[in-house]
Amino acid sequence: MDLFLQQLANGLVIGSTYAVVAIGFALAFTVLRVINFAHPDIFMVGMFAGLVAAVEWPALGFLVVLIAGVLGAGFVGFALERTVIAPLRGRDVLMTLIGTLGVAIMLQNGMAVIAGPDPIAYPALIPRRFVDIGPVTLTLRQVLNFAICLALLALVSIYVRWTPWGRATRAIAERPDVAAAFGVNVARICQFTILLASMMGGVAAVSVGVLYGSAHAFVGLLYGLKAFICMLVAGNRYFEGVMVVGLAIGFVEALVTGYVSSSLRDAAAFFVLIGVLYFRPNGLFGSYAT
Amino acid sequence: MNLASLEPVIIFTLLNVCMALGLYITALSGQLSMATAAIAGVGGYLSAILTVKFGWPLLPATILAALAGAVVGTGLALVTLKMRDFILKLTTLAFGEALSVLAFNWDYIGGANSFTGIELKTTIWTALAAMFVAVYVTWRFDGSRLGFASRAVRDDPLAASAMGVSIAQVRTVTFAVGAALVGMAGAIQGHYVLVISPHDLGFFVSLNFIIFLLFGGLQTMWGPVLGAVLLTALPEILRFSNQYRLILYGLVIVLVVLRRPDGLLTRTPTGRAVRLSGWTLVPARAVTQTSPEQHNRPLPASLRRVADRVPLKAAAQ
Repeated sequence: MDLFLQQLANGLVIGSTYAVVAIGFALAFTVLRVINFAHPDIFMVGMFAGLVAAVEWPALGFLVVLIAGVLGAGFVGFALERTVIAPLRGRDVLMTLIGTLGVAIMLQNGMAVIAGPDPIAYPALIPRRFVDIGPVTLTLRQVLNFAICLALLALVSIYVRWTPWGRATRAIAERPDVAAAFGVNVARICQFTILLASMMGGVAAVSVGVLYGSAHAFVGLLYGLKAFICMLVAGNRYFEGVMVVGLAIGFVEALVTGYVSSSLRDAAAFFVLIGVLYFRPNGLFGSYAT
Repeated sequence: MNLASLEPVIIFTLLNVCMALGLYITALSGQLSMATAAIAGVGGYLSAILTVKFGWPLLPATILAALAGAVVGTGLALVTLKMRDFILKLTTLAFGEALSVLAFNWDYIGGANSFTGIELKTTIWTALAAMFVAVYVTWRFDGSRLGFASRAVRDDPLAASAMGVSIAQVRTVTFAVGAALVGMAGAIQGHYVLVISPHDLGFFVSLNFIIFLLFGGLQTMWGPVLGAVLLTALPEILRFSNQYRLILYGLVIVLVVLRRPDGLLTRTPTGRAVRLSGWTLVPARAVTQTSPEQHNRPLPASLRRVADRVPLKAAAQ
């Protein structure tokens, strides 16, 4: 039982990161009908922006590094929206997928040229300490990562449900043309959505960098497909659904690693995807028409 | 730079042309498969098993690999027949990844350690022959009634169905023929690379072929050919800046998507003129008067819906 609870906790920590990246994907796909394959690499840029800040000004502490990550990721996200996503809006989903994939290739290999293709050590901003929560032992970094991700998810949820811009976001997700007819500035909201998704990715990226103690130019590949799957399994009608599925997939992976075999870990998400697509092709919680 | 050092580039270019054409045939009826690499992997694994474990020569193994590809393609087409466009793509994606996982955990075909020990049997001439087969099949398919029926299904399934075209049969046939070409190319590629690993079956490899198609343009069969040739040769041409070539590769893709969203080669809507950035490569065909017999020619039996085979008298009673 203790092993199960420990795996549950580990899974939720990983899953919360999947959920944050998946929400970034889902925001872009729901609001703009764009599969933003550059999103995981924006996450990677945020990780490196935080790394640079932490190395250049070691005295500034975790919060400033987080802000650096947010700024770095937000800048790349904004530039991406202006140069590639906005001109391609309204075209076939596949065209934007290929376009953002081209950007992703550029970001990955550009970073590999700058930082080298091997993983780089991340400064230890948070002390290495263990925290006991009942029968479960977690590191302080895991707890912090989980807390940050949950806070981000809560913020997105509040933004989408309770603010005027959030309501406009949901309106565009349902019917962009009708939303525009009711006076919603669709272009502005789309721009802000990508910016928001990128900045959230930046926060999560710094937190993940600290958690694993390393940064890597190709880290996006690991999160990209998983986050994409989370979004498909949940469907894009409810952002909260994507969050729950992100946590659940992390949990399933931890269980597969703990009880079956670690080589099957990456396959778990795909079996979940095939099962869900077969029984509920629009995702567990339903999707807007594309 | 002599011919020997160019050999891998030429062979990969020829084989990628085959795969792109296979995907083009599949996409002709509106189903853009994201499992190309998985189907190529099925062909590669099967032919490798046949040549290594049973001592077959390359040619029958390749033919069997093409057949296996056709069977897999038919299965995929039947499963995805009723699905919406987006869900179809996702199902083929999931299928490819599932095959990759299967290969990863199946020790008979090497599992995670890849299938090794394949003999080098592919030469430039083999690849060239494969490309000619692919181009010939695609060329004949493109201009056939089946090709026109496929495009009709792609552009408007409802209207095509109303004109008496069976969507189910068109989709199954296009998927099967396309997958057969992909399986053939996969077999020949396996006997050149000499290693087949489960990672070669994954989504990101399949995505490469889709990039070939969208880069070259889907409107003529020469679009995928151009896309495959340029994008396979481009990283090699850009080798002068080895470190930066993948960045340039990404940049080229982004620029083409932004500046020419229909791909490099486009066709004028009415005729068959093929255009590239304002130059006409192939002029439009003159529209000639058609005779009534040509209009009233019946569809081949394979394309007719089942209901059409019921005699009119029987239907009236």
